[in-house]
Amino acid sequence: MSKILYHGEPAGPSLTVLAALAESGVEVECRPINLLAGERHMLPDITDSVALDMGVEGEGPVLVIDGEAMTESVFIAQYFDEMGQGNLQPKDAYKHWEMLMWCRRVTERGAPAAAFLKCQSYAYPTLAGMNDADFASLTAAIKSDDLRTRWMDVRKGNFPEEQVADSRSKIISLAEMSDTALADGRDWLMGDFSIADLVTYPWLCPDLVPEAFNGKPALHGWMARMAARPGMTAAQKRGALANPEECWAPGPEINRWG
Amino acid sequence: MADVTLYHWEPNANSGKPMLALMEKGVAFDSHYIDMLNFDQHKPEYLAINPQGTIPAMTHGSLVLVESTAIMEYVNDAFDGPNLMPANAQDRLRIRWWMKFMDQWLAPSFSMFGWKFFVGPNALKAHGQEKIEEQISRIPLPERQTAWRKAVFGLFSEAEMAESGRRISVGIRMLEEELDKREWLASDSYSLADVNGFNLAYAMPLSQPHLANDDLTPNIMRWLRAIYRRPATRDCWKLGRTPMASRVEILEQDYIPPRDESEGISSGVR
Repeated sequence: MSKILYHGEPAGPSLTVLAALAESGVEVECRPINLLAGERHMLPDITDSVALDMGVEGEGPVLVIDGEAMTESVFIAQYFDEMGQGNLQPKDAYKHWEMLMWCRRVTERGAPAAAFLKCQSYAYPTLAGMNDADFASLTAAIKSDDLRTRWMDVRKGNFPEEQVADSRSKIISLAEMSDTALADGRDWLMGDFSIADLVTYPWLCPDLVPEAFNGKPALHGWMARMAARPGMTAAQKRGALANPEECWAPGPEINRWG
Repeated sequence: MADVTLYHWEPNANSGKPMLALMEKGVAFDSHYIDMLNFDQHKPEYLAINPQGTIPAMTHGSLVLVESTAIMEYVNDAFDGPNLMPANAQDRLRIRWWMKFMDQWLAPSFSMFGWKFFVGPNALKAHGQEKIEEQISRIPLPERQTAWRKAVFGLFSEAEMAESGRRISVGIRMLEEELDKREWLASDSYSLADVNGFNLAYAMPLSQPHLANDDLTPNIMRWLRAIYRRPATRDCWKLGRTPMASRVEILEQDYIPPRDESEGISSGVR
């Protein structure tokens, strides 16, 4: 069975998946790609591309299994865990439900906010500086109309103040939710180390919303433990650049229902 | 009294997902109908169970669970009965992908039509403008307040409706192509993705007759009829109390021809 993981720099959803891969002990061929150059939409030998083309997550990693593209970082992390040591998800059904709910809250609310702010700070200058022909050929390869629109919004610098403020408040909420979960002195968000930790860490934005982390010693302690996790250090080694946290491409959309 | 109680509205969309999953698993449960149009979900007795005021919610002994797709995964994990998640990890990944795609991308587009044309007007008619404002102001989640205001007062913009219409059309095409690959939506055995998908799609031949019919989407029609034939589906849809649930009877017809978009009924409500 052929398995290839195409991933960006260790940031956002690529960091989640690279760390889960390392923690799981599964062997997969990893191929780094430049997400902001649109390379995710030009991968070779894909026979089934629906998940790549239409994934809700946007520019996340792609696991190709025998030609079938599989996406969504939480589910790829679950896949690695289920193929590997099986210690990244609670065995108890209710605790598993709690983990799924946590991950959903992070990916539905935190992730769109983080991707929006990160793209404003780090992706916008690159895309705005591209020439028209290069940008046109990049966006022509994107199958999803709404994902393509998000790319065009980043290039235009279309970051309405209201959405910036809302995104910042969502990062603050994510930090508060995490700090509250850790308030009883536990080491990890769900008690035992799990995919919830791997999913939450990459979407927090201490570089862009530093005030979210003020006065939260439990959260600081957890972030230090996360940075020292073997999975995290292994994932960081897969990066080619000095500041992977500044490498972003358009992510999930902000909920259309408000 | 059963160990499990499900608080649900009609067998449709989010409420229908755990209802059908429980019935497929053969889990006995107390059914507690929450009348969404009567704002039962924001009354103190329900908020005591689910403070967020969203439907459905399930209790299992002293445990409380919310969010329809996550409840389904719990139901499949926690109870004996047929396994609705296959053993193959790649299949499970594909099933989860489709459930997320439907829950977050496709279903909200269907529901924008359902809320604009059915939920909003019916709730307004039943309660009147003044009382409905009061009801909406009591909704715990701010984003649900926004959704209700938009639905009740017709505030969805033309651009929002057009985008939802585009997504419905793209989504139906994607479902048809996926169901051409295998018997069920995301794996070779009946799974939670089918339970989820049926709740989203069962009324499409009525609400989108120009997009979903036996000529244009034969795989979707084959799939919907196969799920409709299952005893659990029959039992589940009997729990409906409004004409909405009876829309499922369209699947008794052997052949559904294409009809004009204007003949569609706009009540794909979640």
